[in-house]
Amino acid sequence: MGLGWVLPARRAGGRVNMGEPSAERGGSLMRESWSMLLTYATALVLVFVLTFHLLLESPLTGKSLEDTLTFGYATGNLAYYKIVFGLLLFAAVLHGFNGARVIVLEWLHPKRAWALNLLAVILMALFLAVGSYTLYAVG
Amino acid sequence: MTEARRFRSGLLSSLNPLGFNVERWSYTLHRVTGVIIVGYLMAHIFETLQLSSGSAAWANTMAALHSLGPLEMVGLWIVAGSALYHGANGIRLILNEVFGKLMGKPILPVYPYSPTSLGRNQRIAVWTITVVVLILWVWAGFYLLAGLGVV
Repeated sequence: MGLGWVLPARRAGGRVNMGEPSAERGGSLMRESWSMLLTYATALVLVFVLTFHLLLESPLTGKSLEDTLTFGYATGNLAYYKIVFGLLLFAAVLHGFNGARVIVLEWLHPKRAWALNLLAVILMALFLAVGSYTLYAVG
Repeated sequence: MTEARRFRSGLLSSLNPLGFNVERWSYTLHRVTGVIIVGYLMAHIFETLQLSSGSAAWANTMAALHSLGPLEMVGLWIVAGSALYHGANGIRLILNEVFGKLMGKPILPVYPYSPTSLGRNQRIAVWTITVVVLILWVWAGFYLLAGLGVV
């Protein structure tokens, strides 16, 4: 596998040409090639950290469903595995809102794409801030 | 029909997998499950925020969720299934799109057109994912719905 997929799209003459972001194509907030790279990278992270999170809540821990929902168990896990949950928060928010942005983008006139991109960034920042505060306060 | 309405109806049709091959079904399911998970993610982040307000706030949140009755666990079961499918299918998509695995080599299109992306390996991957996800989803159902008398 080459490293071409890591690099951003090139202009005409390059191997890949996704086009330059212009006002007509929705501004220059983020080029789509970088957006897909972000999606793949966060997806790979999520495969591991989300599986870990689900295992902590599963009967494989030997606890009942009610036990895993108690204040002590929830705060204990968040405090003990703070880095894992931080990574989960970061990857889930970026992957989720970027994915939703890509879906909505197909329904939107390209001239309005800049507004959608801006909304996605604001929502990402909001949910990252709320989740980070929880991790900080509980830990 | 105006151009905008025609455009939207085309997009709606693009989400309809009926009459298409398994790739279209997995595409549609991947999108639908993704939207379900994003909805749950937003609620879950605000739900866990209550942990920062202490045990009483958390108990109130849990009581509010339990007041939904069977809907709470059925909802969680749907979210679990969505996460399982989206994750498993996502791994297949990464193998396809990032590493170029499971797909056939590109060929000149000859009538009747048959997508090389839907070769033997790809079909095995799609059906393996479907079976594994269904088994895990049923298992999650027993775990989540057992207390409701549903199973």
